[in-house]
Amino acid sequence: MGSRAATIGGYLAGFALLFVIWHLASVSLVRSVLFPPPLPVLERAVSLIQDNILQEQIVASMRRILQGFLIGSAIGIPVGLAIGSFRPVRLLLEPWTEFFRFIPAVAMITVSVIWFGIGEESKVFLIAYTTVFVVVISTAAGVGAVGRDKVRAAQCLGASRLQVFALVALPATVPYILTGMRLAMANAFVTIVAAELVASNDGLGKMLWDARLFMQVEDIFVALISLGLLGFATDRVFRLLIRGFAGRFNPTM
Amino acid sequence: MEGRLAVVALEGVGKVFRGRTGAWEAVRDFNLSLNEGEFFCLLGTSGCGKTTVLNMLAGFDAPTSGRILLDGAPVRGPGADRGVVFQGHDSLYDWLTARDNVAFGPRLRGVSRAERRAAADRFLNMVGLAGQGAKHPAELSGGMKQRVQIARALANDPRILLMDEPFGALDAMTRATLQGELSRIWAETRKTALFITHDIEEAVALGTRVGVMRRGPGGTLKATVPVDLPFPRNRTSDGFMAAFRRVHLLIHEELHAHG
Repeated sequence: MGSRAATIGGYLAGFALLFVIWHLASVSLVRSVLFPPPLPVLERAVSLIQDNILQEQIVASMRRILQGFLIGSAIGIPVGLAIGSFRPVRLLLEPWTEFFRFIPAVAMITVSVIWFGIGEESKVFLIAYTTVFVVVISTAAGVGAVGRDKVRAAQCLGASRLQVFALVALPATVPYILTGMRLAMANAFVTIVAAELVASNDGLGKMLWDARLFMQVEDIFVALISLGLLGFATDRVFRLLIRGFAGRFNPTM
Repeated sequence: MEGRLAVVALEGVGKVFRGRTGAWEAVRDFNLSLNEGEFFCLLGTSGCGKTTVLNMLAGFDAPTSGRILLDGAPVRGPGADRGVVFQGHDSLYDWLTARDNVAFGPRLRGVSRAERRAAADRFLNMVGLAGQGAKHPAELSGGMKQRVQIARALANDPRILLMDEPFGALDAMTRATLQGELSRIWAETRKTALFITHDIEEAVALGTRVGVMRRGPGGTLKATVPVDLPFPRNRTSDGFMAAFRRVHLLIHEELHAHG
């Protein structure tokens, strides 16, 4: 497992380097109260954690992300499978995906707030919205990419249409579905911050907004770093999932 | 022939593909019947339509003229009675182990887990992959993947085995080994087989009969040469050389027929 140790070591060194550059930049290059060095930010983070404030914001944002993400995936996967499997469905629904995916979730914030208010529903809706189209497109592409010989082999082993779908098309598509979900998760982070900036009572986006109002620069940095680390962690989980499902048989994933 | 019903009969089979650039006649008036226990090698230059013949027999493509009979009944679409070994190994299921790939056909028929695993191991053993059942296709070499494909097709016990240049993408050494293994397996099972190839030596080494195709477009069966030599075949014997020469001359005419 030398390569695993090397990977972890590389990441630790990379993050350490980032903090060193940040520190040097803030003490020698910029030297402004608007650009604090890492240490005061870290101290601020510790006190926010001690007061249970940071955790609350993280939980608020992550709960919205997960809820919307799960709803979006639960809709996106079956729709994507249907689009990829049945030509009439594709002809009917492809205009939808091609239309809506160019209307970013951020542009939907106003509509969402008008419809759902500034409560949880509007944020969950936006995350689901940003998730669903990415997952649909990626899933449909996965179904389309199932090798012809794989389907033919199943047919001449006696598979029915349903068996070809369940035992060949579906498992062959899983890596594409997971990749789509991974991309959607990255979008969800973008969307949640924007949504909370505009209309929210808590969450990391709200924390950013309040910190700007009261010029608490350290708080801004704590929120930014939290976002980065949370995104990094969730992306890791997806990478592990994709590898678990696909890596063994598809080294390129 | 002698009142025996052919396993497979192709009667006046033709195939015209129509595309945006016009029509292409791949196969014209193709006639062939295969008897029980025959290993028929269909030999031809590239583009002669030999793969189209196999695809029609497998049911992947429908003929545009003539008819194809399996045990006297017309072929309509692919089915478990015709096992196919593909040239590329993309047809294996990457997410399944070698054993589960081989057990795929029995699984479709609802054979119990224990039973189909035992059957899969028996066929893996037959193709020389004993003890490799837990590996995934990505962990197997090109030759081993083709062995898995052969085991998978045999485990389903089809009426006829259809092989589309299964060793075409392998290096010469691996190919020769697999040819020997396939001959041994065929001698054990006596499974009726149609084997597509463009390699004269391969055709003469494996076949009980070799069919040479006329060059396309409109490829058709030009001649069949019986190869009545015992297995395992000695490729340097006089009999082998004579059969090779006969087939070679037939192919040679095709290569030089139209330049």
